[in-house]
Amino acid sequence: MIAGAWLCLFAPLAGTLAITVGGNRISRLAAGWLSTASVFVAFGGAAWSFFGLRAHGSEHGALSTAWVWLQAGTFKAGLSVLVDPLSTMMMLIVSGVGGLIVLYSIGYMDGDDEERRYFAYMSLFVFSMLLLVEGGNLLILLAGWGLVGLSSYLLIGFWHERPTAVAAAKKAFVMNAIGDATMALAFFVLIAHSNSLSFATSFATAGHLSETTVNLVALGLLGGAVAKSAQIPLHTWLPDAMEGPTPVSALIHAATMVTAGVYLIVRTHPIFEQARTIELIAAGLGTLTLLVAGLIALVQTDIKRVIAYSTMSQIGYMFLGAGVGAYANGMFHLLTHAFFKALLFLAAGLVIHALSGEQDMRKMGGIGKVMPWTRWAFLAGALALVGLPPFAGFFSKDAIIAAALHDHWYGVVLAIAALAGAFLTGLYTFRMYFIVFGPTAGSDTAPRSQTHEGPKTMLVPVGILAVLSVVGGWIQFSPFWHPLTNWLSPVAATLGVAEPSNTQEAIASVFAVVLGLAGAVVAYAVYGQRRLAIPRVPSLQRALEHKLYFDEAYDALFYRPAAAMAVSFRREFEEPVVLASGSDLGEGALELGQGLRRLQTGLLRTYVFFLATGMAVLAVVFLVVK
Amino acid sequence: MSVSSFTSVLIWLPIAGAIAIWILPLSRYATGSLAVLISLAEVGVWIEQAARFDFNRTGLQFSQDAPWFKDLHVSYHVGEYGFSLWLVGLTVVAMAACIGYGFWVGRDRPRAYFGLMLFLTGATVGVFVAQDLLLFYAFFEAMLIPLYVLIGVWGGPGRLGATIKLLIYTMAGSLIMLAALIVYGLKVGTFDLVTGPTSASRWLFLGFMLAFVIKAPLFPFHGWLPDAYREAPPEVTAVLSGVIAKAGTYGMLRIAIAKFPEPAHYYRTLILAVAAAALVYGSLLAFRAPDFRGVVAYSSMAQSGLITLGLFSGTSLGYDGAVLQMIAHGLISVSLFLLAGTIERRTTTGQFALLGGMARGRPALATLLMTTGIIALAVPGSAAFAGEFLILAGSYQRAWWWAVIGAGGIVLAAMYMLRLISAVLHEARGSTVHDEALDLRTGELALLVPLVGVLLALSAWPAAISHHSFAGDAPAQIVQEQFR
Amino acid sequence: MLQGPGIAWYLGIAAFLFATGALGVLIRRNPLIILLSLEIMLNGGNLALIAFSRHAGNGAGQIFALAVMAVAASEVCVGLGLVVALHRRRLAMDVDKLSELRG
Repeated sequence: MIAGAWLCLFAPLAGTLAITVGGNRISRLAAGWLSTASVFVAFGGAAWSFFGLRAHGSEHGALSTAWVWLQAGTFKAGLSVLVDPLSTMMMLIVSGVGGLIVLYSIGYMDGDDEERRYFAYMSLFVFSMLLLVEGGNLLILLAGWGLVGLSSYLLIGFWHERPTAVAAAKKAFVMNAIGDATMALAFFVLIAHSNSLSFATSFATAGHLSETTVNLVALGLLGGAVAKSAQIPLHTWLPDAMEGPTPVSALIHAATMVTAGVYLIVRTHPIFEQARTIELIAAGLGTLTLLVAGLIALVQTDIKRVIAYSTMSQIGYMFLGAGVGAYANGMFHLLTHAFFKALLFLAAGLVIHALSGEQDMRKMGGIGKVMPWTRWAFLAGALALVGLPPFAGFFSKDAIIAAALHDHWYGVVLAIAALAGAFLTGLYTFRMYFIVFGPTAGSDTAPRSQTHEGPKTMLVPVGILAVLSVVGGWIQFSPFWHPLTNWLSPVAATLGVAEPSNTQEAIASVFAVVLGLAGAVVAYAVYGQRRLAIPRVPSLQRALEHKLYFDEAYDALFYRPAAAMAVSFRREFEEPVVLASGSDLGEGALELGQGLRRLQTGLLRTYVFFLATGMAVLAVVFLVVK
Repeated sequence: MSVSSFTSVLIWLPIAGAIAIWILPLSRYATGSLAVLISLAEVGVWIEQAARFDFNRTGLQFSQDAPWFKDLHVSYHVGEYGFSLWLVGLTVVAMAACIGYGFWVGRDRPRAYFGLMLFLTGATVGVFVAQDLLLFYAFFEAMLIPLYVLIGVWGGPGRLGATIKLLIYTMAGSLIMLAALIVYGLKVGTFDLVTGPTSASRWLFLGFMLAFVIKAPLFPFHGWLPDAYREAPPEVTAVLSGVIAKAGTYGMLRIAIAKFPEPAHYYRTLILAVAAAALVYGSLLAFRAPDFRGVVAYSSMAQSGLITLGLFSGTSLGYDGAVLQMIAHGLISVSLFLLAGTIERRTTTGQFALLGGMARGRPALATLLMTTGIIALAVPGSAAFAGEFLILAGSYQRAWWWAVIGAGGIVLAAMYMLRLISAVLHEARGSTVHDEALDLRTGELALLVPLVGVLLALSAWPAAISHHSFAGDAPAQIVQEQFR
Repeated sequence: MLQGPGIAWYLGIAAFLFATGALGVLIRRNPLIILLSLEIMLNGGNLALIAFSRHAGNGAGQIFALAVMAVAASEVCVGLGLVVALHRRRLAMDVDKLSELRG
């Protein structure tokens, strides 16, 4: 079981190294298959760990350390992997969905000059994400965290001739770095109190910290989670990240990296439970994001951005679930979301690929006729996303809403907001579906005769994910049947306040389904049948199109002042004071010399005069001192 | 040859090599080969030394002690501790890479050039292993002389001004240090660092610190930095930033903190503030510097600030982190400046406005620059991050605001390093980038790949340095006991 | 013990000589006259030395006065030699004009 975990971790790294060292000597196709194989080997390792753990019983997690990574004085952090219910679940998701997406990339990226670099980066990403989820202590988790941010930067900026892609990549990295910094601060507090970053010690220490301290630690962790998962207020990088190739968006910005924040909260929930306020703030932020992202998604015209905002919104659900204490529900939604969101991205990718890179939805109308498989897959994903039974999203999303309902008045408010979000989800998802796959042809559509379905390597993963989006939710139907909650209970037991009663479950499910369906119907009326007109509220429309002006605000509040400060330092201080100081010293010395020159008059009597005066002064001094 | 004499071999072998090169009328090729051979031999001797070093024992190892001025109690006393072993290793590896670069590129007046580089090697090793104050001072000054000539003769267009500025600044610091050193030696009766007692004199502490702060350099004594870094030949800048700067921080640890504990405690907050200012100021200026060398130069100042922050935090985490960061940043600096050299050779400039799009068609250059840049910005998981993490964790134990400022430094580092990478590799092709500018050649790869390889290995196992710099588990204790 | 005027008189004359000489050095412009004034200063000093020697009954002052005379003689040789060289080159015998060694 431990061996499986190590295999899972290092197989993708071996893949990256093989592709990097191979360079131009291996063909582009070989690089693709090498990468895919390494990720599937990782999946094998993950499955091995999972079944091994199941055989032992899920409460017998194991920690294995390869060597001491960092040690200073008595502080020690080893390169260790943890095999427990939570990590094995994440390992399976990351390597499984990751493997399907890398396989899909073989077809999608075919023909690109830099394919080998792409696959090296993809394997690196999978390695980083596995390091994050398998990390046996907080420091290794942070290492994986940072490397995931790095891989994201490399992949978003993959087409680096495009200034927009480069800018988006930098933005993503810097925002993630802010999260890294807050997490590091939280870790410093923990080290100061317990001199260790192992999970067990840190969680135990959290119980002994003062309230302010533990709140600060939780806040630091939350900062990292919010940055990585693109929740408000550190969300502005996610839509820009769509500059990367579509499989990248599917893997990193839907299924795995952005869910790392949720994983973090669930993993460190003992700390968050000591800082309940912060945990509830997390739930609140998630709900806020859920609504705002849903609203913004309504005005987007780029298909990938709609799905990106949808991701942001769905992660809001996961934050809500984890924040109120329903960890298993949050993780369940993470699982189903990985399936249907990756599916939506990959299906959108099939359309984009077929239309040679077109991403504007308005130009895609009527494509359903020539790409039937894609259309059905997309529909499956959409239905799962909206949460209609028996598709996957229904089981996971409603459980979260129910859990929130059970929590006190705050939870009820969040639950109502989440239900409003369900309506928005239905609305924007089917807006997208009908614009792209509806019967009416879009404006300026490309000739349809050339478009056709993609190659097998692209269709097979999409098919598998479509099936999973349908059946993936059947793994848990709380409150009747919850093997997942049971599996996770040794490490992430649901808080009592988040255990809904059967009535609450029923209410949540009914309302969520009805609202979701209502949204879909409205979307059909507006975009499908073109019967209803969209209400025109120009200021709101503009605000939403500008993503509520967050980008502009951050630019004005942070980026421009930093740049201005840097330039003014250089102009006002560095150049006049510091650099000139050397020349000033030289010039000062010269001037002093010039001044002293005037003593040398060349006239005898001046010198004699000085001699005489000096002697007289000395004589007086002698007399006085004597 | 006994094991103890390895230390002296490390000092005098390159100096002997330098003298040989200056005397013998060898050809250009022979001179260069001899220099490269000697520098590689140095690395070999060091590796042998490291293999035999006992990391669990406190106290000086591989030491040699011979009286020099008996009546003043000045002796030729050399030896190594854990952390000085690593610094010597950094020196010999960096110098080997830089001499190799000089050989690859071809410098005119090769005998003068290689002689000076070898002399520089020996003198710098001497700084790190000297255990007698006067000997330390002698090597400290000897380290500077080849630098003045190397920058002044083989540098860029503004080299004379840069040299004069460097000279004025370092001389000022050194002379004050000399005064402090003499007063200290005469007062306590010996110049020996190992047996000498501590002193509570604040003026002496400040005298020493001034020299080290100018060497590091720290804000606001960094006036010599931008010009010297821009005008010197790339391999000399690499040595300056990667090794010579570490002599300053080494001096802070070995002399200022160990010999003057009460003044160090008294001035701690002030020095931490200066270090934090250097970190923030350097990072901000790096963020808007218009050229490759400018970014790395100001980033070096920021890193020196970070290392000083770690040293003066006075905690075990801080000391270990500072030593690790010295080594990691030294290697990073050398790699970055050598890469700058390769880029300048291909495009005649380091100005960002004229560069861009170099990644296309140059996978080796892109990979190496990307890897080094990413490690330089201390991405979690890298050696530089490990050092930074320990330093900030240690400084947090001193006061929370140092850690917060340092955390801000993390974000700024990401900003300026990514700007550097993108400005050179990405977006549209710059006006000075032509197709004839090829990817990295075998010679350049032979220099850079081992350096980056060591960095990656260090990133996989930072405890190699952080746990093996001070024997045992309590570096703060060991520093307090003056490493005995 | 000793006849003749008290030491104060001798010192007064010595001071007078010294002051005259000093004034001459400071005011006069001709190098020859300056040398002359220097000699007068030295004589004043010699007189003081001998007076003190007589007053203290010690022969050291007189011996030292002899040494001073020897030095004065040498110095006059050098000085006069310079003046003659100046004159031979037709340079102005005016120290105010001889100021090329200026800063």
